[in-house]
Amino acid sequence: MRKLLIGFGLLLVSAFSQAADLNWQTVEQKAKGQTVYFYAWGGSPEINNYLRWADKRLNSEYGVRLKHVKVGDIAEAITRLAAEKTAKKNSNGSVDMVWVNGENFKSMKRYDLITDSFATQLPNWHYVDKTLPVDSDFSEPTLGLEAPWGVGQLVFIYDTETLKSPPTSFNELLAYAIKHPNKVSYPKPPSFHGTSFLKAALLELASDNTPLYKQADSKTFTVISAPLWDYLDKLHAVAWHQGKQFPASAAETIRLLDDGELDIALSFNPNEATTSQQSGKLSETTVAYAMEAGALSNIHFLSIPWNANAKEGALVAINFLLSPEAQSRKGDLAIWGDPTVLSPQYITGSAQKTKLFKSIPEPHPSWQAALEAEWQKRYGH
Amino acid sequence: MNTLLKYEKKQSVTSITFKIMVLLTIVIIFSPLLPGLIGLIFAAFGYIPAIDQYTLSLDGFNELLAWPGLHQSIVLTLFVSISSTLLAAFFCFAILQSCWHSRWWKQIETLLAPIMALPHVAFAVGFAFLFTPSGFIARLFGEQINWQLIHDQYGFGLIAALTLKEIPFLLFMSIPLLKQLNISATLITAQSLGYNNAQAWQKIILPQWLPKIRFSLFAVMAYSISVVDVALIIGPTQPPTLSVLVWQWLNDADLATLPKASAGALVLLLMCLATLLSIRSAEWFITLKCRTWLSNGRFSLPIGGKSIITITYLITLVTLPILLLWSFAQRWRFPDITPSRWSLRFWQQEWDYLLDVIANSIMIALVSATIALVFAIIVHEHSIKAEANKKFLKVPRLLIAIPMLAPQLSLLFGIQVATLYLANQYYYLWVTWAHIFFVFPYVFLALDGPWRSYDQRLDKVALSLGMSPFKVWWKIKRPLLLPAIWIAWAVGISVSLTQYLPTLMLGAGRISTLTTEAVALSSGQDRRISAIYALLQSLAPFIFYIIAIIASRKTGSLEQQTSTSTSTSTSTSRISTSNVSVSQQSNHP
Repeated sequence: MRKLLIGFGLLLVSAFSQAADLNWQTVEQKAKGQTVYFYAWGGSPEINNYLRWADKRLNSEYGVRLKHVKVGDIAEAITRLAAEKTAKKNSNGSVDMVWVNGENFKSMKRYDLITDSFATQLPNWHYVDKTLPVDSDFSEPTLGLEAPWGVGQLVFIYDTETLKSPPTSFNELLAYAIKHPNKVSYPKPPSFHGTSFLKAALLELASDNTPLYKQADSKTFTVISAPLWDYLDKLHAVAWHQGKQFPASAAETIRLLDDGELDIALSFNPNEATTSQQSGKLSETTVAYAMEAGALSNIHFLSIPWNANAKEGALVAINFLLSPEAQSRKGDLAIWGDPTVLSPQYITGSAQKTKLFKSIPEPHPSWQAALEAEWQKRYGH
Repeated sequence: MNTLLKYEKKQSVTSITFKIMVLLTIVIIFSPLLPGLIGLIFAAFGYIPAIDQYTLSLDGFNELLAWPGLHQSIVLTLFVSISSTLLAAFFCFAILQSCWHSRWWKQIETLLAPIMALPHVAFAVGFAFLFTPSGFIARLFGEQINWQLIHDQYGFGLIAALTLKEIPFLLFMSIPLLKQLNISATLITAQSLGYNNAQAWQKIILPQWLPKIRFSLFAVMAYSISVVDVALIIGPTQPPTLSVLVWQWLNDADLATLPKASAGALVLLLMCLATLLSIRSAEWFITLKCRTWLSNGRFSLPIGGKSIITITYLITLVTLPILLLWSFAQRWRFPDITPSRWSLRFWQQEWDYLLDVIANSIMIALVSATIALVFAIIVHEHSIKAEANKKFLKVPRLLIAIPMLAPQLSLLFGIQVATLYLANQYYYLWVTWAHIFFVFPYVFLALDGPWRSYDQRLDKVALSLGMSPFKVWWKIKRPLLLPAIWIAWAVGISVSLTQYLPTLMLGAGRISTLTTEAVALSSGQDRRISAIYALLQSLAPFIFYIIAIIASRKTGSLEQQTSTSTSTSTSTSRISTSNVSVSQQSNHP
């Protein structure tokens, strides 16, 4: 009986996956002639140029146009989708594809703004490196609702000319800041990089960081996060502008490093130092490194809204962006330098040189909101 | 008898056509307000279907009040907007007093175009680059300057930048006003009564200038309260101004912050209204309560308008070459005064993509500014009729000003949902309409002073001589007001060219303009690419301002018209000379 049940269950599962299976030939046929409106952050000329290349390639190969809609913050697209949901516009939506992760993905999932699971059924899925945490996004299960695109690691950048041995832990960073006042800072939370800095610091400073991977409740939060606030009180007193001001973004810390106002900058791209040197934003003597404990790591993804107008085109585009060709070019240090999500053997060119740092997984998302709120209460005004 | 009947028929046809036009205008201009305001109010009280909230509650306001630093943020916002508005008004008047029709005036007026054309964002970027501790000024000295002007706690840097940016706008708006005020005659009369120049300006021209510039001051005030982009680039950060907070909440990945954001947007709107009332009462106070000061000849304030205009122009104009340098810089590091490596790469990369973007921007701007201009003239004419004839309902000024005063983001959410219900694939239609909606108040405002100052007796004379109302308008009123019309058109175009949110939200990203590209790129802090877009963003309005200024000079002001001018205008100047009086003229808003 049990065997029967299991067999029946297996049948069900296989029938279910059959039903959801993408017939790739049909997808490619339907995609021909479609224009995919891809909402993605537009602040980096390097990324924008990479997407222009992808558009040309997709057009010649599959007859699909990829139009990059440059947004200052991807949340703009989420707000837009929310408006379309309000108006019950369940087809012919204006957004075909989005570049998301973390909070934005959680929001899209929570308010049902995503199409059915598709990622694992893409033909190029087999290239993806399954040892990377590609099935969870800031500890939120992805369930195939989004496909991985690249890897982010929180790294620090310094100039070997001004700084001989960089601080390799948060406590050393504080010691350095005390010795060199006005030269250390971090982006202001709740910006993505600012909150990441808080998380990384807390992961190192907390006496026990296992609770960080579970839902935060106010009691645990108060106890666990106490060392972080002590630390920040000391750091702000000697930080850039005495902690009365913070850089707005990671991009600004890079500019301030180049201008000599800061000694250490932040980035989520382990290759940032090299690509910034190539584009002239940093001097040749800069180096990126991670803290001794490792680098806070996460993956950024591509997804398709539930009401996308060019769903097939978006699938073809995402599949192409997961091809060894596209991933190798994305990882090229002269192009973008974003680390690949494919297994290393498929990658060619200078992207092969990328070595990821030891990774620290992202804490439970509930900690993010709690840290941001507490930071605001203590330092935000 | 027959001819009389025909005449009456003709009259009624014209008036019916005019009424239809007024109605059409009101529908097009004000209908977006309905979904916009309803959406805002409903969202503020918690009715947001997008996040499955269908019950009215005060949660949004409670969350807003619980936000640490809200009070500081509100005080800071008020401080920034009131000081920058007052300073801009004071400096603008000082410049007018010192320079109007002096040797410099021609240069000042000519330079206004490039200065005004520089978009706020581009100016903010340039301003920041001048004044950061490792900025251009610090580079001239060769070492970092430890001053705090960018992102400083009290918003001094933001106040300075806004003031500098608004002075030219107010000057620009004052030109047609002063041309109609017949300054030289006033000054001659005043001097013959024993007033010196400064006294005459402050006691006779100021009370006439203030009510006429009122609407422009409203615009400046509203802008400084709800400005987001400039405040992000150079404004205070701990806490930021309220508009920045609202913007961040609205753009939060977590849609649950929407009620708080909408409540904040509503508070912002109410703050705008409160400060506008304060301007109005300040004006009333100055013009009414200071009458003794107005009529006693002993005392006037010394003001150095020449140095103010020099500083304003200098700082603004320095940003342009700096932006140009940046757009060709490959490497430009502190403390170098010029880039160490040059590159054409950024221009080459963008070149192929620019044509499309520029064509889009200019087309939308031309269409929306022209339509808004026609509408604004219709509404002004209607207002005049309504004042004369109590049967007509007047269009309330406050209603006209709402698109200018309300934070765009909050209105747009409702408007966006409305377009989705109708048919959102007509992207160009919605974007152009939204541009008309946001451009209209500025165009209306640019025409406000000139229309008020127009001498109605001219119309009466012409009508009594048997001209048809339309002919009177076309042959007499239009030529006299043409300089103002040209300038209003240019203002409309420049406002349309800087619209970011309406283009993005209603164009669904299908329509990229110079501004949408520029704002998206500025989030990446790559100064080189931002510089390219900032330059192009300045170039487009600059061209139209130049056209408008040349055209308005060609059509000429009353004061500058030579003796070969038509008899109409000389009679006008005679009539308006008799208007000059030392006492305060009553002005019914």
